[in-house]
Amino acid sequence: MFLTNTVFKVKENPYLKEKYYYIHHKSGLDVYVFPKKMSVSYAIFGTRYGSIDNKFRLKGDAEYTEVPDGIAHFLEHKMFENEDGVDTFKRYAKYGASANAYTSFQLTAYLFSCTSNFYENLDILLDFVTHPYFTPETVAKEQGIIAQEIRMREDRPGNVLIFDLLKNMYARNSVRKEIAGTVESISKITADILYRCYNVFYNLNNMSLCVCGDIDPEKVLAVCDSVLLASPDIEIERCREPEKPEVYRSRSERKMKVARPMFDIGIKNTDIPEDGTERMKGSAVMSIVSDMLFGSSSDFFNELYEEGLLSNNLSLWSENNRDFSFFTLGGEADEPEKIFERFTSHMEKIKSEGLDEKQFASFKRVQVANTVRGFESTSSIANGFLNSVFDGGDILDYADILGKVTVEDANSLIRRIFAERNYAMSVVRPVDN
Amino acid sequence: MQLLKKTIAEGITLNVIPADKFKTDRISVNFLTPLDPEKAALNALLVKVLSRGTKSWPDMKSLSRALDDIYGTNLSDYNYKRGETQIFGFSLGMLKSEYAVDDTDIISEALRILSEVLFSPALENGGLRTDYVEAEKKNLIDDIKARINNKSGWALERCVEEMCAGERHSVSVTGTIEQVEKIKPEDLTKHYKNIFRNCRIEIFYVGDADIDRIYGLMKNLMTPLSDGVKAPALSVDVKRKAENEPKEITEDILAKQGKLVLGFRSGSVLEDPDYHMFKIFCELYGGSPTCKLFENVRERLSLCYYCWASNEAFKGIMLVSSGIENTDKDKAQDEILRQLKLVAEGDFSEEELENAKLSLCNGYKEIYDQKGSLEAWYLGRLLAGREDSPLENVDKIMKVTREEVMQKAAGVSLDTVYFMHGTEKADAAEEGEEEDVSD
Repeated sequence: MFLTNTVFKVKENPYLKEKYYYIHHKSGLDVYVFPKKMSVSYAIFGTRYGSIDNKFRLKGDAEYTEVPDGIAHFLEHKMFENEDGVDTFKRYAKYGASANAYTSFQLTAYLFSCTSNFYENLDILLDFVTHPYFTPETVAKEQGIIAQEIRMREDRPGNVLIFDLLKNMYARNSVRKEIAGTVESISKITADILYRCYNVFYNLNNMSLCVCGDIDPEKVLAVCDSVLLASPDIEIERCREPEKPEVYRSRSERKMKVARPMFDIGIKNTDIPEDGTERMKGSAVMSIVSDMLFGSSSDFFNELYEEGLLSNNLSLWSENNRDFSFFTLGGEADEPEKIFERFTSHMEKIKSEGLDEKQFASFKRVQVANTVRGFESTSSIANGFLNSVFDGGDILDYADILGKVTVEDANSLIRRIFAERNYAMSVVRPVDN
Repeated sequence: MQLLKKTIAEGITLNVIPADKFKTDRISVNFLTPLDPEKAALNALLVKVLSRGTKSWPDMKSLSRALDDIYGTNLSDYNYKRGETQIFGFSLGMLKSEYAVDDTDIISEALRILSEVLFSPALENGGLRTDYVEAEKKNLIDDIKARINNKSGWALERCVEEMCAGERHSVSVTGTIEQVEKIKPEDLTKHYKNIFRNCRIEIFYVGDADIDRIYGLMKNLMTPLSDGVKAPALSVDVKRKAENEPKEITEDILAKQGKLVLGFRSGSVLEDPDYHMFKIFCELYGGSPTCKLFENVRERLSLCYYCWASNEAFKGIMLVSSGIENTDKDKAQDEILRQLKLVAEGDFSEEELENAKLSLCNGYKEIYDQKGSLEAWYLGRLLAGREDSPLENVDKIMKVTREEVMQKAAGVSLDTVYFMHGTEKADAAEEGEEEDVSD
């Protein structure tokens, strides 16, 4: 036991054989340390600021500020440049770290992994993210790079399908907008707007640091003490447009250079619990239901596969967070409409019969096993943790929450949301023939 | 961590990579055979058909549920090439029994399933089931056609196809659509009866179970082949230098972005004792966010989002790929080649060299945290006739000199330039992009 004082709160899960140390740092930052004997140590420093936060104000402001789409992602790119002209990758390179960053709908995260010099690298991470530097010239340069990133995504049918589906499901929720924005929207970004967004969202009270590896919490704290200055206590108000329970439109189609039709089916859920732990329970129910109804052992998938209507596993995604909640299932099929018909009739059957209790228990056990697997790598722990704390949850509780979910929880969800009005589909068809 | 090898039977080896830090165990059974245009499609189809069902679990649903019952064990099939060797087989990812809530012996149960997948498939009239063979043929053909969906992957494949036309390396591991189409169920049954006995078989175990126990389990698994197999010689024809002026190929495709792929003969293969010197060159030139390509093609000229160098260690090929505006093709190509020349001339700082070494070493040390990477490392090594660990390479890498890197850069020669010219108007998608959604 390397813990020498009690400034940290310790949380342990004996079944997972994992624990973490938590401290609310005096700068305003929440710090989580997962000690784990692995080769790779991993750190992720994130702000609760993603692509959907495009309209916001500070408490007390009269008006909302609306900014161009794709700005959180643009800001993520620009953070790697520093006033002294040495880019951040070069600073890390001296200590052998492998660094990266990403922007999602709800957060922006800066991360590195390394096998030595962890605390030096952590110093760099905390330092560069807390020191923005943008000029008109560097912004212009980045517009060219990000334009190519956007073009690349526009050529990826899987990416096009999912955003078409989100546009179908949601009328107003900003989750319907591409995370990187469009070539047009990013052309409106200036250094001034970047600073404005930075100053609101990169406040340490809106951020978290999660580190995992062969790490001493005390030393992490020492790096935080030396780098971080206290952030002013602010309250951010994010504008969330009201969204109707039913989908905005049920279908969309477009043509691309693909071999055969591809589809994504979505089931929209707007009944989202306020409480973080309740949302985690909702996520647990949804992940079991998704696997049980559409996964590789499901009746639905196997029937369609046996009949030759599907040739590969469906790609599944279930999402349940404070801003949006849905299931998606996607794949390739000669006749997407037929898949959709089978989907609706199968769901009606499930709804009237209810899920089998014994089978439910078996799928639940698989999900628990998958959760244990998630604790094998320092990167999946740190990333999973950051995502869950920003949504008011805690991944260390997830296996236990899964264990307590009942078949009745699943049946009531199914009865509530499996209905035509909540279904949408996007299709990409081949250009030729 | 030392790789331990034990012979199961003639031509069948168990490779154990001891590791106690994971929550799951991994086992894979790899069949290695010369990449052969006549057999590639048969091997590709075989792993798919064997995954469809077995004697005790005759369809995918029952097989899948049997795996679910042992704590969601993953059974994956795969089929790929290294150099001019085709590698296909199955892997198992199994939760360690200490996380089971009952006394299920997960490894034994999982191997019982794998044993049936390999040796007791679902049969009809003594042969593989016709319906499964026909269905998987269609699926395999769909997969071959679907390669075009991934534009950057397609461009890389097309470059290699053109570059290695007439060399065995260009044979696709799935075979061609025509080859798959003409396979009859009885052809596949006949192939199935022979193929295992004519492959080199490398079994890997990554985990911390007792080695004698694993050895016993694997010996038991391989009982049907207990009298050994006839392992073929695995070789690869390496061209160290591009033989002619670079080939230039441009193809139109409906896409918004152009994809440029430069195919080089790298001059180095994993069998070379000084291969680590080439790896540093690669890292310095196109392997990290501080490399020459990233710094110049992306950051300085703002031409692209990605520009990386990847290399095939067995055939001796290096590919540089980038997604760009069509009109920037020459500009990007010139800069990619100019940077290569500059590295060969020694135009890089001590700091850049040091950074490349640290980056590469960090990547090697990270291998120890991923079971799949550990296995891929050692499987690759044994194909190249060596057994050195990632850590042993770390020591060697730190000693490489500037001259050695320059020499490796000078050994790289351009063979083929492939350009996928995107013909879609880039602003096409923006039209009607935002319909009015206000109610």
